[in-house]
Amino acid sequence: MAETIIKTEKLCFEYEKNEGEEKTQVLRSLDLTVERGSFVAVLGHNGSGKSTLAKVLNLLVTPTSGKVWLFGKEINEETMTEDELYEIRRRVGMVFQNPDNQLVATIVEEDVAFGPENIGVEPSEIRRRVDEALETVGMTAFARHSPHQLSGGQKQRVAIAGILALRPEIIVFDESTAMLDPMGRREVLDTIRKLNRDNGTTILMITHYMDEAIDADRVIVLDDGRIVLDGTPREVFSHVEEVRAAGLDVPQITELTYRLGLSGTPITAEEGADAIEALITNRQERN
Amino acid sequence: MENTAAKLCGVSYIYSEKTPFEKVAVDGVDVTLEEGMVTGLIGHTGSGKSTVAQMLNGLLRPTSGEVYVLGRNIWENPKDIRRVRFEAGLVFQYPEYQLFEETVARDIAFGPRNMGLPEEEISSRVAEAMAFVGLDASLSEKSPFDLSGGQKRRVALAGVMAMQPKILILDEPAAGLDPRGRDEILSGVVRYKERTGATVVMISHSMEDMARYCDRILVMNDGKPYLYGTPEVVFSEAERLEKVGLSVPQITRLMAELRRRGYPVSASVYTVEAALAEIRKLTGGDRA
Repeated sequence: MAETIIKTEKLCFEYEKNEGEEKTQVLRSLDLTVERGSFVAVLGHNGSGKSTLAKVLNLLVTPTSGKVWLFGKEINEETMTEDELYEIRRRVGMVFQNPDNQLVATIVEEDVAFGPENIGVEPSEIRRRVDEALETVGMTAFARHSPHQLSGGQKQRVAIAGILALRPEIIVFDESTAMLDPMGRREVLDTIRKLNRDNGTTILMITHYMDEAIDADRVIVLDDGRIVLDGTPREVFSHVEEVRAAGLDVPQITELTYRLGLSGTPITAEEGADAIEALITNRQERN
Repeated sequence: MENTAAKLCGVSYIYSEKTPFEKVAVDGVDVTLEEGMVTGLIGHTGSGKSTVAQMLNGLLRPTSGEVYVLGRNIWENPKDIRRVRFEAGLVFQYPEYQLFEETVARDIAFGPRNMGLPEEEISSRVAEAMAFVGLDASLSEKSPFDLSGGQKRRVALAGVMAMQPKILILDEPAAGLDPRGRDEILSGVVRYKERTGATVVMISHSMEDMARYCDRILVMNDGKPYLYGTPEVVFSEAERLEKVGLSVPQITRLMAELRRRGYPVSASVYTVEAALAEIRKLTGGDRA
């Protein structure tokens, strides 16, 4: 039995845009369970509630109603001490979209050390964590560089290292590849996969790129504050119409095979070729 | 020269010249932008594409070489460079961060007002620009800061369109938007182009968007043009694209895989529609 690391029950979040106006519902009674060590992609159009969900998990946003359990413990900001809340934030790391907004120091290794310094980690231990974190994201060679000389993908990897130095158990990536070029995207995605596979870190990856979601164990589609689809990438993308209704696309290959009336939802080029090859062979035999 | 909207002749651009940080961003480039075409500019970070975009509207002055916009050498008379910025409008990355006015309409009117146009002309241009980008007229008096991210981006784009540039240059117009927002913004660009006959230059990292919206693609690498042509031509060079850290659309990869397995499909397929047509040819034409 895998351990449940995140659980929400009837989670709601609403806010008043302008005083006196009707409240905007961002999350509507969301029930979500995530197992430790899983890699979950969260999809949804802008305004579907995915970033709010991320912020609830990092305790940046307090839900209007509903319950949240993290690491088996119910979150209650009234009864929990400040230290307990900080500890939860440390265990749930967040990486945001814009690499430039997340780096604070003028030297890469100092930036990575910022988090552990803040929580009072011993200097020798900081040194160890910084080296290890830079090693994990493949940025050791840049330890003494200035972040502004790095590419977007490199900066984002430094931001990830800064989170790693806090030893989180869950990392939430909120569209962390949106501003990167294809090479930068690949670097960051490889890093995310590695963290999940080698370190067993639980990953929640919010993205607009359907092809990134293919790599996840599980895909959740949010629409209007609700979970509308939840399953393996293959299961989710087989619901072409529902995915579209949620304002999203399916990967090109999935769309092609869907329009050819093929079953099985291929999601990679090889799988697509297999399905089409089978279709052609089938036709030739019939003729 | 007739069907050339803009041209770079032997253009180089060096950042921080004569300092230890000297960097050649663009290296002796000859580029011609064909009139009325949507040209996609692609290349990884540091390939020089943004520098090219900024030289096209006179924001950066080349270290050497000439830039022609609408047949004129734009640096012949540097005092006149302001005119070039009206002729060639540049929409930066994340332009929504540059909104500042109290209302949507006033923000869009900022450019045309700077051009010294009469008030009536300004308001008709504002209305027209809002229609191009698909913003409802009821939003005119709203604060741009109350809008969603996708709407803000469209306000920023409308602000440049209201100047009616003959060349519209966009630096990653769809970055960070969801699929719906992306389609809204890019179809706004296409509408503008169709209605005004403008030439469009669009920087993007999305091969799928390039395939869908561009007539020509220019791939930059290391400060130099690397590939240029129609999407068919460019995407049939999968190996060369991958060599410079770019990729081809997913569907192109699938067709390449089918070719590798010995099926006679075209290598230059880059949309789902074209792929369907190719596969139906193999399966005997009828709907599978």
